[in-house]
Amino acid sequence: MNIQSMLGRLMAVTALLVFAVSCDSSDNNDPELDLIPINSVTVDGYTVSLEATNELEIGANQLFWKIKQGDDTITPQSFTISPIMDMATMSHSTPFDQPETDAIDDSYLSNLAVFIMPSGDMGSWTINFQFTTQSGSDISGEMPINVNSSWKIMNTQDGNGKKYFVTWFEPQRPMSGNNDLTFLVHTRETMMNFPAVSDAEMIVYPYMGMGGGTGHSTPFTPPVATGNGFYEGDINYSMSGLWTTTVELVVENDTLPEMVFEYSVIAK
Amino acid sequence: MKHLILIIGLLFTGAEALMAQQISVKVADMTTKEPIVQAHIKDGPNSVITVTDVNGMFTVDLSKYSHLTITAVGYAPKNIHLQRGMEVIYLNPEVFRDQTELLVLANEEGEQNVHAYHNRTADQGMDQFLDNIDGVSTTKRGAFGWEPAVRGQSDQRMNLVIDGMQVFKACVDKMDPITSYVETNNLSKLQIDKSGSGVAQNGTGVSTVNLVTQKAESAPTSFNFSTSYRAPDQYRTVSLSGNTSDASGRNAVRFSGSYKKADDFRAGNDRTIQNTQYEKLNLNVNYRHTFPSQHSLEAGYIMDKAYDIGYPALLMDATKALADIGQIRFNFAPSNNDFQFNTAQVYANGVRHWMDDYGRDVANRQVMRGMYMPMYGTTTTYGAKLNGAATLFDHQFDWFMDAYMSDAFGDMLMESLDPSIQDMLIYNLDEVKTNNASLGFRHRIQLSDNVLMKIEESIRYKTLRTDSESHASFFQGLYGEAPGTRAKFLLSGSGSVLWMMNNNWSLSGSLVYSERMGNHMELFGHYIYNYTDGFFYDGNPWLKTERSINTDINATWETTGHSLSFTLFHKQYFNYIDGVLGTDSGSNDFRFKQYANVGDAVITGGEFRSFNDLGMMITLENRLSYLYAHNQTLDEPLPLMPPLKGNTTLHFHRGRNMFMADLEWAAEQNRIAEISSIEDQTGAYGIFNLTFERRWMDGDLTSIVSLNNILDHYYHTHTSIGNIPEAGRNLMISLSYQF
Ligand SMILES: [Cu+2]
Ligand SMILES: [Cu+2]
Repeated sequence: MNIQSMLGRLMAVTALLVFAVSCDSSDNNDPELDLIPINSVTVDGYTVSLEATNELEIGANQLFWKIKQGDDTITPQSFTISPIMDMATMSHSTPFDQPETDAIDDSYLSNLAVFIMPSGDMGSWTINFQFTTQSGSDISGEMPINVNSSWKIMNTQDGNGKKYFVTWFEPQRPMSGNNDLTFLVHTRETMMNFPAVSDAEMIVYPYMGMGGGTGHSTPFTPPVATGNGFYEGDINYSMSGLWTTTVELVVENDTLPEMVFEYSVIAK
Repeated sequence: MKHLILIIGLLFTGAEALMAQQISVKVADMTTKEPIVQAHIKDGPNSVITVTDVNGMFTVDLSKYSHLTITAVGYAPKNIHLQRGMEVIYLNPEVFRDQTELLVLANEEGEQNVHAYHNRTADQGMDQFLDNIDGVSTTKRGAFGWEPAVRGQSDQRMNLVIDGMQVFKACVDKMDPITSYVETNNLSKLQIDKSGSGVAQNGTGVSTVNLVTQKAESAPTSFNFSTSYRAPDQYRTVSLSGNTSDASGRNAVRFSGSYKKADDFRAGNDRTIQNTQYEKLNLNVNYRHTFPSQHSLEAGYIMDKAYDIGYPALLMDATKALADIGQIRFNFAPSNNDFQFNTAQVYANGVRHWMDDYGRDVANRQVMRGMYMPMYGTTTTYGAKLNGAATLFDHQFDWFMDAYMSDAFGDMLMESLDPSIQDMLIYNLDEVKTNNASLGFRHRIQLSDNVLMKIEESIRYKTLRTDSESHASFFQGLYGEAPGTRAKFLLSGSGSVLWMMNNNWSLSGSLVYSERMGNHMELFGHYIYNYTDGFFYDGNPWLKTERSINTDINATWETTGHSLSFTLFHKQYFNYIDGVLGTDSGSNDFRFKQYANVGDAVITGGEFRSFNDLGMMITLENRLSYLYAHNQTLDEPLPLMPPLKGNTTLHFHRGRNMFMADLEWAAEQNRIAEISSIEDQTGAYGIFNLTFERRWMDGDLTSIVSLNNILDHYYHTHTSIGNIPEAGRNLMISLSYQF
């Protein structure tokens, strides 16, 4: 075999490789879930597993559920959950939605849950679940979970002691430049009922302290209610570093005590 | 008899050989192809060998003179390597030489006495050199890197190029004007087009300064070594340059290098100005190959390194500033074709700039207290230029094509002295890309025997964008719209008329229309600190085109030994780009502005220069410039405008001695910007300098002693940021040896 034909083969192989690699990278256009397992429990031969994008933490979490019988993923007739924190003298729930078929990957059921306290010495979290299979059998169980601390939820209360929880929904990874700024607001009706609040007014003020009593704000659009407890605006971080964002809720013309979120903004 | 025959034979062959070395060449006008009479054929700068006859012909001995300089009144000088078979040498008309297109020869003056900017380059840096030209001023931030301004317009409102190459500053605080990359021992000439009428070539219609570097020449090997010492700032410099070529003269190499170092300087009244030290190394290599066809190829490279540069006016100092500037240029041999090329040039350059305030007392300062803020900036630029001439329907014109692309980055890290505070980082510029392509035409029209007209026009396509998503998002957040790529077609044009009234008087006028898009900082800069007003500036990608119309008139009177030149100009700006108060940051320490089209502005003024040969080898030079600049929308003066200023120089030449007395002065400046900036008034000053120069060893060795600011006056110029004073009395000794 002469050098030329060897080179020719080499080039053909290289071309194929390049083609294969480019094909491989090009079909990643569809959004894909990138999940980590949180916990799973098996009841009556059905394995219920919980996955999430990150370790669970206080603040907003998207929960992804999958039910399997053996190796087969099954679609139940209904699936409901109920998160409960068991504390020494009492127990309480937290703001959450019921799972529905996930929009991106229909093998999952997914829901939003806002954990208001972390697991720890104060108490522990369990999610009670209940589902009806296609054959009509009702199955229920409970799944212990661990909820870490984070800076992403704060609370305040009105003059009557009614609690309001403000969750930092977006940006999850604040980055230098413009970011969507979204909050979630819930109140506590009872220990088991935390409805969304969509009729409050929100006053925010971002600030960066630079030491020696100096500091500055940055351009932002104040969040306004868009329904289901969401408040949407945006924030344009001028630089990376440690920022605070002060949030005040005005409920029925009553300005509640301010909350201060403190967090790092990354450069890129 | 046999011997006689041999001797005759020898003589004959010798004579034949001698005859064969004589070469007759014609010198002609590049445009009209008409012969040029009385052109000077020189061997070296001052020694005229012969002049051309009525047919434009001259004859020289090729064995004695292979490299020649040809000069003629009204034409650009030309260096040429003579060869057998050469028939015609074309010179380019320099019709508007005496007008606002000022040509300053750094080395030799020639006969064009209006251009007489005396040769003080041996002991003068580029900064001082520029500062003494009428219509030019410099914005100062310390002892180093003065930023030139033509008629009060600097940075983005003027075009500063090296051999026509675009080089972008890497420092967002303008610490690094590109004038610092060409040392005076590497400067061949300075082309200053104050009105911007050279639209075809500059592509923009804005005031242009072109630093033309020295090129390798087909000449015998020569070296120049010079060294200077100045007290009390301990400024010391060593520079070396050399040129050599092979026997054929086809290959020539020129090298120059210089090293400078200065300690803190002392202002008047013995006040030491802390933190004004610097250190700088500059190297330059140029190679030229001449083909038998008379085409030639040049390759040039400049490397500049500056270290530990103190900027007393600023919050920080430059620790390191590096520039690499390379070019390859092809010069086409003159031809008679209807479509011809003159030069083709490709170039690349990179500038890197590091600055920090680790050496400053950050805990006790007023601005940005309690934190260090090291900054880094870089720009990379690639470009290509092509120009030539063409004849179409009996109309002859010059054409110019120019394209470049540049990438800019700049960031600032903030490290608090308080360990509980996280580091902060700002991107001032991130992947900001400038692309520019232009096409220009120049037409020269002879209206009558003594009236010449020049029309130039240029069309330019320029785009600016950032490829960084997060950087783009700042502007989206600020203005509510994604910036994408900002692109504009920009037009500029000029018309100039020169009327040679008689042998002594000439009148000229020009009208220039210019469109400017805004540069990478005005569109895509983020939180760029402006030392003149204390605001942080944000760019605005949606800026409208800034337009200007410049009118210029000049009257020049010249006789042998005397010349006067008087110029008046008026420039009207529309959609003037400037900073306006931005969003409130809720803090007095951080105040923000955003670039915007603020309305109209006007700059008007004039320059005067005279040169008088008083006889007895005494010459007198006077230069004067004045500006009136007004922001018409705010009804206040534009900031950083020099007052009425000038200088008067008296030279005495006595054999090998030259004595020079110089008065530099400026009136007070009371026209200050208080809304758009925070200027204060500046008093008048006048300083005296004396220089004594003597040549030794048949002129091979030159010694220069200069005593500057003899009265030790304590003063600052209006364009000195932070009112940093100028040097007090200082003594400089220079030696220069050539062989
Ligand atoms: Cu609890
Ligand atoms: Cu700098």
